[in-house]
Amino acid sequence: MESVTNDLERTRRRARFRYEWVRARRALVGFLPALGLVAAACSFSDRPLRALGFGLALFAVGATVLWYGRDVRRAVLPGLVAGVVPLVLVLGARHVGHHCDSETCTSLCLAACVIGGALAGLAVGASKTGRKAGASFWIVASSVAVLTGAMACARLGIAGLGGLLVGYGAGLLPSLIRRMLSKAESTG
Amino acid sequence: MAQRNAAESVGDQELDALMARLAEGDRSVFDEVFRRLWPPMLRLCISLVKHEADGADAAQLAMVKVLERAADYDRVRPALPWAMAIAAWECRSLNRWRQRRHEAPVDPAERMEGVGGEQELVSRDLVRAAVASLGELSVLDRETLLSTFWDECSPSSGATLRKRRERAVGRLRSTFRRLYGIGD
Repeated sequence: MESVTNDLERTRRRARFRYEWVRARRALVGFLPALGLVAAACSFSDRPLRALGFGLALFAVGATVLWYGRDVRRAVLPGLVAGVVPLVLVLGARHVGHHCDSETCTSLCLAACVIGGALAGLAVGASKTGRKAGASFWIVASSVAVLTGAMACARLGIAGLGGLLVGYGAGLLPSLIRRMLSKAESTG
Repeated sequence: MAQRNAAESVGDQELDALMARLAEGDRSVFDEVFRRLWPPMLRLCISLVKHEADGADAAQLAMVKVLERAADYDRVRPALPWAMAIAAWECRSLNRWRQRRHEAPVDPAERMEGVGGEQELVSRDLVRAAVASLGELSVLDRETLLSTFWDECSPSSGATLRKRRERAVGRLRSTFRRLYGIGD
């Protein structure tokens, strides 16, 4: 009897391990295309190590959230798509008549970070409002979006990252205010 | 009966919901899904494999397969038949593997030994059956056959003995056929 119980417990543990392993494998494979984005950011950036650092952080966050599952996994794709906006704007700004390769010559790139961040915030805010999701969705989508944008803005140092965050916060503000107002109306 | 069916239906719907939550990544229902799936899966595997220990092994393998594929579960479909289909497939694979293993000898010497042993058992059964059939014959028939076997001289002359022996063998054959259905 004890042997049967032990067998069953061993099977349960093995099944649990396989369940987690398959989820992890799927999460890694599912988020693999993001590595292409990281590679593109590294190859187009003049500070590839910074881009790589944020890219690896992005991959770790994305894959972990996909492995965890539940509702928050649906925040990964909107966050990634929103984050591509500042990434493309900043990397593009380097090649549009303004070569951002010195610390003093960063005005256009910095603007691209702020504007790109604001657009990303607006996109995540709209996505979050559209899905009527909870705070966890907002946190995950924001993390993914900021990390994606940071791969490009990190080349400007603290100023670039600060600009991205300020822009992102500003873009998110309208949806936050709308949410707070609707919450106040429903409770009042 | 109707109450039982209704209870089973509710149980199945609960299992569907639990499996859908597990597919989404809700680990809190893992043990509950395991607990609900195990008894029907074990029953199915034992009935398909027709061996309790092998059935339990197949059920354990099937359980691991079902739960590792939990993320594939389509919430529109009922969970129990889906899990049972995986278990049935696992049993089928096990049965095929067992068939192959029995057909293909692992060790030729071992196989020969096994076949020899089997043949010896069959021969022993045939001898036992022949002796039992001999016991059904008359004393005269028995003596005729035994003296023929031991090549003993009998007081009867050659032609008489030959006729008696033919009749005794014919009766032994018909007795053997009557008792065991073989001997043609």
